[in-house]
Amino acid sequence: MNVGILGCGTMGRLHAEMAEKSGLKVILCSDVNIKNGKSLAKEFKAKFVKNWEDVVSNKNVDIVAITTPTPLHFPMLDMSVKKRKYIFCEKPFCRTVEECKKIIQKAEKTNVKIFVGHVVRYFHEFEAIHELIKSGKIGEVGFIKMYRGGMPPQGKKSWFRDFSMSGGVTFDCMIHDIDWLRYVFGEVKTVFCQNLIERKCAPLDYSQVTVRMKNGVLALVIGTWAHPSGFRVKVEVCGSDGLMYYDNMESPLELQLREKKDVTGTIVPESPVLKSPYQREWEDFINWINNGQEPRVSMYDALKAVEIVSACLHSAKVKQPVTL
Amino acid sequence: MIKLGIMSFAHLHAYSYAHCVSLIPDVELTAIWDDDKDRGREASKRYNTQFIEDLDEFLNLPIDGVIITSENVNHKPMVIKSAQANKWILCEKPLATTIEDAVFMINTCKKIGVGLGVAFPCKFLTPLLKAKEYINAGKLGDILSIACTNNGSYPGGWFGNVKLSGGGAVMDHTVHVADILRWMLGREFESVYCELGNQLHKGILETDDMGCLQLEMEGGIQVSHIASWNRPKSFPTWGDVTMEFIGTKGVLYVDAFNQKLNIYSDFVMKTEWGFWGDNPDFWLIQDFVMSIQEKRDPMSKGLDGLRSVEVTVFAYESFKAGKKIKIKRTKS
Repeated sequence: MNVGILGCGTMGRLHAEMAEKSGLKVILCSDVNIKNGKSLAKEFKAKFVKNWEDVVSNKNVDIVAITTPTPLHFPMLDMSVKKRKYIFCEKPFCRTVEECKKIIQKAEKTNVKIFVGHVVRYFHEFEAIHELIKSGKIGEVGFIKMYRGGMPPQGKKSWFRDFSMSGGVTFDCMIHDIDWLRYVFGEVKTVFCQNLIERKCAPLDYSQVTVRMKNGVLALVIGTWAHPSGFRVKVEVCGSDGLMYYDNMESPLELQLREKKDVTGTIVPESPVLKSPYQREWEDFINWINNGQEPRVSMYDALKAVEIVSACLHSAKVKQPVTL
Repeated sequence: MIKLGIMSFAHLHAYSYAHCVSLIPDVELTAIWDDDKDRGREASKRYNTQFIEDLDEFLNLPIDGVIITSENVNHKPMVIKSAQANKWILCEKPLATTIEDAVFMINTCKKIGVGLGVAFPCKFLTPLLKAKEYINAGKLGDILSIACTNNGSYPGGWFGNVKLSGGGAVMDHTVHVADILRWMLGREFESVYCELGNQLHKGILETDDMGCLQLEMEGGIQVSHIASWNRPKSFPTWGDVTMEFIGTKGVLYVDAFNQKLNIYSDFVMKTEWGFWGDNPDFWLIQDFVMSIQEKRDPMSKGLDGLRSVEVTVFAYESFKAGKKIKIKRTKS
């Protein structure tokens, strides 16, 4: 099967690589940034086209990978559904709940397969936490604290820094943890969010969300784009008979390089695994296409995640809890 | 020679305070009173002092100051009685379980002219002192957001009995952090949203064991706070006080008790953290002694106790109302 990449930024490059590692061929790349698009096309011996519509309407493209700024997901999904492509879409599904619902309606009618990249479900450490919770190792879980983030998105012109496009750290980054909470504990009852969107200090954002699940589990989720360096993921799960804690800074590798003119540098922690979670999500998607086996993430899950983070943004605006 | 008495060993902190008293020269633990006679006698043997069974007799002793470490709801009658006996007072936190009680206690002490302090030893923790120094020097710029925790393990006993504790983990573990932030930033709390519940001790405990507070301080500072008894028996230590400050110029993470050794002992068969930092309780007691000598209030005054009680009380109110509410500050 052949893949066309829409959006040749960081995620476009990553997913092109994962698609090929999973046995697919990248044949077309498009980006409004011609330099980025051409460079990626060259790397994967693919063809560059400027207009994304030309990728979606190309008969030789079986799978469309959407890795563009979030507001562009809707028109791209819309046309890809029309053209009956298999669709890999980076999270968040769409920028609004309404857009997600429209796409789902159309995809249902035509039986088009849409996979949304809620990759945290495929991370080894999160799988291990999930398994331990299910096994009852720490008893009945009553509280969970999740923390994710680090530096604001880099690049002065980065679209992420326009919070009307990205939704800030809550919509773009915390959606991972929100989706995972729902995956493990079921539906969300209420959310209360404080973030920095109204403070107008973009690109800085720091979001603190209280989540009450329908099954009674309580959670605090923190997302940060406010740190001067690093990237941190922490998870603390509290049960009736124990507690478990994960911190990505406790890693098996710590690389420190002396920068050329100086004797200083930064620490880059690394945790290598045989198969990256991104490749695992691609393989799950391909298995769905080839064998009809439902993947770990459905488009309804992706809609729910957008619903919850939209409720968080609304809560931050009205400064009151929002019930879903 | 400053003479001190301890009223009740219901709260475990009493043992640490008694030990600290013994470390200070020219200070004497003159007597112990406790409504639990066995507990009181036991403690008096341990700290080599007399146990007085009768409260009036205890308060008639030539004692300069009392440390009150009773159950939360008993703070009020003991503070009032001690004030009437003209004693300087250091009261365990929370100062009271209701705003009315706290105000009454403060006013009574003021009227009689005795010093009233609240046991907030965290303000003597060197990592928090350093953090305050950085923040007050403007190193972080304007503070935008703060994420805090005061986790602990369920202490058992009267802590789980609302009639004696006035509440659960939110009552127990909100006041320290509320007080620390007021002290560091010189700002008051304006609103609170709180989700809480008995999340981990179903069938064992009648109170809440987890609270998740979202607060706003003056100037729009966004604060989250976890007040909990979520640390299991197998956890290496009692709990923590942590704070992450997000400022316009930088961020600061404080794990206030993270001056520790990892200890693996086959005698215990559980990993333990051994604290090696400066003992904040020592400075708390030292400050109390000095407040008696200098005829002033201890470092954390009654008003500080009241302000943190207000945050706690309104957190419970918010949970009942299911929405964010304003924190009304009582004049005192």
